[in-house]
Amino acid sequence: MNSDAPKPSLWDIIVAFTIVGLTSVGGAAGPMRHVTVVQRHWLSESELAELYGLGQALPGSVVVNVATMMCDRFAGPLGPLAAVAGLVIPSGIVAVALSGIATRLAASNPHFAGVEVGITGALAGVFISNGLRVLAALWSEAPDLRVAWRCARVAIGALGIVLVIGLHLIVPVAMVVLVVLSILLDWHLRGAESTA
Amino acid sequence: MDQLHTLLVLFEHFMVLSLFAVGGGPSMLLPQMRQEFVLQYHFLTDRSFTELLAVAQATPGPNFLIVPLIGFRAASWPGAIVSIVAFLVLPMTLTFFVGRLLHQHDNEWVARIRRGFRPATGGLWIVSGIVIAMATDHTVGALGITLGVAALSLIVDISPMWWCLIAGAAGAILA
Repeated sequence: MNSDAPKPSLWDIIVAFTIVGLTSVGGAAGPMRHVTVVQRHWLSESELAELYGLGQALPGSVVVNVATMMCDRFAGPLGPLAAVAGLVIPSGIVAVALSGIATRLAASNPHFAGVEVGITGALAGVFISNGLRVLAALWSEAPDLRVAWRCARVAIGALGIVLVIGLHLIVPVAMVVLVVLSILLDWHLRGAESTA
Repeated sequence: MDQLHTLLVLFEHFMVLSLFAVGGGPSMLLPQMRQEFVLQYHFLTDRSFTELLAVAQATPGPNFLIVPLIGFRAASWPGAIVSIVAFLVLPMTLTFFVGRLLHQHDNEWVARIRRGFRPATGGLWIVSGIVIAMATDHTVGALGITLGVAALSLIVDISPMWWCLIAGAAGAILA
């Protein structure tokens, strides 16, 4: 972290992450970067990127994981609690209030119910294309690999659809199966690479 | 089911779910949340589930706000608080200690684990999309929105917020 800058207090952290929470629409990662790196200079771009990589490898929300590590370094064990309080409490109260209003509106107005269907329908589409993007990247990012191995990487992803939708396996079990398979494959490929 | 039992179920299930929010974040757990809270415990209907999903998406906040919203629907404010605490406590504790441990160390194995998650992440994103579509798309128009957004967002890479805005307007006209 920037050693020359004064460390943010617990109150600074609560205020900053309240702003992050209330300005996040469609993901909090962008606003978190803006508030902590661009506006407040609490840490550098590359320090954030490093925390982000680690946060992705651990269970839980990436933004909460990054905030946990960042704010522990600023303010000790209470730092993460302050960050999450700011992130979740104000935006959570707004969301609960709006969900009550939404239910009443949807019951009385078919056009509003249509808006809800539209939003979730679009969300489903976004998720599908996110997945297709990841699978396409798995294929194209390793042009030096033999075609059979590139097929295998994509097939592990596609297997998830068969396991959950086709065989009705629950997501956590499917996740474990897929992760074990892909770590084994990665291991094998790295091994082949280093002996070559 | 009495209130205390409902709170215990929420606490236990969100705590277990949180450990599987890896790689792509909580969105990947939506099929599992539907399975448990809609189909198994009947805390809410498919209709309310998709409604809460739309609200969580349209309101500002981190993308796991669906968690306290489900909790609130099942058991009011105590439900919302219990759910969000259960969902955050284990990942935060783990991250707290791992973060301290890795502060000084090189982390090659972190890259290895991240690589390992990626094929799983790709497939499970698609699963999430399909399950939400099955819960919400009961008309040709709605199915068209899902397929249209899936195809168009492959070509035009803009924030999901814009797709939801456009599709929300389309949904209002179609309804």
